[in-house]
Amino acid sequence: MKGFKPSAPFLLLLPAMVVLAAVVVLPLILSLYSSFTPFRLTRPETFFVFVGFRNYLSILTNADFWWAFGRTVLLLTIALNLEMLLGLGLAMLVEKATRGQRILRTLMMFPMMFSPILVGFQFKFMFNDNIGLVNNALQSLGITEDAIPWLIEGHLAFIAISIAEIWSSTSIFAILILAGLLAMPKEPIEAARVDGCTPWQTFRCVTWPFVMPFAYIAMTIRSLDVARAYDIVKIMTDGGPAGRTELLWTLVGRTAYSDARMGLANAMAYFSILLSIAFTVYFYNKLAAARAQIGAEW
Amino acid sequence: MDENASARLTRRALTVAHRVGLFLAMLVICLPGIWIVLSSLRPTVEIMAKPPVWIPQQLSVDAYVAMFSGIGKGGIPVLDYFRNSLVISVTSTAIAVAIGMAGGYAFARYRFRGKSGMFLGLMLTRTVPGIALSLPLFFLYVRLGIIDTHIGMILAYVALNVPFTIWLIDGFFRQVPKDLAEAAQIDGCTRWQAFWQVEFPLARPGIASAAIFAFLTCWNEFALASQLTRSVNSKTLPVGLLDYTAEFTIDWRGMCALAVVMIIPALALTYIVQKHLVGGLTSGAVKG
Repeated sequence: MKGFKPSAPFLLLLPAMVVLAAVVVLPLILSLYSSFTPFRLTRPETFFVFVGFRNYLSILTNADFWWAFGRTVLLLTIALNLEMLLGLGLAMLVEKATRGQRILRTLMMFPMMFSPILVGFQFKFMFNDNIGLVNNALQSLGITEDAIPWLIEGHLAFIAISIAEIWSSTSIFAILILAGLLAMPKEPIEAARVDGCTPWQTFRCVTWPFVMPFAYIAMTIRSLDVARAYDIVKIMTDGGPAGRTELLWTLVGRTAYSDARMGLANAMAYFSILLSIAFTVYFYNKLAAARAQIGAEW
Repeated sequence: MDENASARLTRRALTVAHRVGLFLAMLVICLPGIWIVLSSLRPTVEIMAKPPVWIPQQLSVDAYVAMFSGIGKGGIPVLDYFRNSLVISVTSTAIAVAIGMAGGYAFARYRFRGKSGMFLGLMLTRTVPGIALSLPLFFLYVRLGIIDTHIGMILAYVALNVPFTIWLIDGFFRQVPKDLAEAAQIDGCTRWQAFWQVEFPLARPGIASAAIFAFLTCWNEFALASQLTRSVNSKTLPVGLLDYTAEFTIDWRGMCALAVVMIIPALALTYIVQKHLVGGLTSGAVKG
């Protein structure tokens, strides 16, 4: 009688699975359970009271939550689309450059090295209404007399946060799209030109389909940590003024640690997890589709 | 003749537009960083001056000296944070890369049931936002008594890094031709020997960049660290940065100096790995 003999890949993946089970899956089960309790950090006995879907129901009727949810989706939509467009533009600019490619590529990676918390800090500094670079420049150039309250007025703060987010992540798109442009075979472009395509047609029908998988890889990577925006918002405005820039993640943090309402916060956290998963699965599928498409054409 | 001249003119105009566009783009990318470095070297009076002083009148490294000369003078215990960051990042990177090599090799070399589902599953564990994960982890760590310890942070960061490390290392092993290892095995190597003597050396630059990437993730992480650390026992640099804002007034110069200290290792390491990193991420893009 031979004992159970596990296969090689199973053994190789075992450590990864153990760690992830212990640090991610188990805590998530725990938090799923506690989202059905009125658990408060200050009153441990509430951990064992079961209230069914009450937390979820109270979220559904909570206007602050839905504002934060909508704002998060809006920020992600604006940021991801602009990052993609700017990244594409930047990649094409750099690809066209005849000299200094290497140094340009290094400079392009510059924002990637900044941790989100640093990005938040440096833009908080630059957008400071009194001593910030942006206002100083505007005033010195005589464009405006008054100090613009970038981080104090709700809409402006949202714009400032979007700019910080876009600045920090455009380079990921640019680099991966540039990798796509460089890996692309040159013959199809020449063939298109010989056949009389305009530059726009060449781009639209030849370059873009080839670069698309690379763009989706960038999207997938980005969607893996869209919650990086938490760091930026946390330090730039901390959800203020008066909750005008509150995102899902800052709201979760505030509910859990400032209000100590863990149960409710966990219920909210599940919404944010689902949001992240939805983004990732969406882009992963897009990636597979784009890959299949060029597989068929080349 | 006339047509030629106008074509030449158009081309020259395009070249100039391209140069200008490139220059502006690079300016926007670099300016925030340069501004931080510059501000860390200027006296506070100049930073606060109204109307602004554009050309620095005097430069000094006072902010750095103050920061590293202990609690009383710099305001915050930067050295402790620095040590914590280093210990936590290095240890968790080493563990994550070991686990990632095993996992990446499995994905690159074996076919097994549920492979793509499992890959997606691994990625999904990474999508859980740090702040959402921090709630149950906080609770668990308090129960286990490892809140505010190095162990707790290392454990969390290993889990954070494993999925991405597996993705990268999987890509690098795929670039190593399968035939090489098979040839080695025909020549009498065991699979274990073939791995260490043939495949590992070839994939090593890639694995090194995966390691650096993992290190940077730990070095920069904030959402988890801000909740799972409480004191100088385990606070890392990103959390320490907030110490400057906690007070009523913000010490901009000190913060800029700390920012520069945080960015320098990241800058150097990213510069080293940039080439391999892109290769690893995109290796699956076309081949599937």
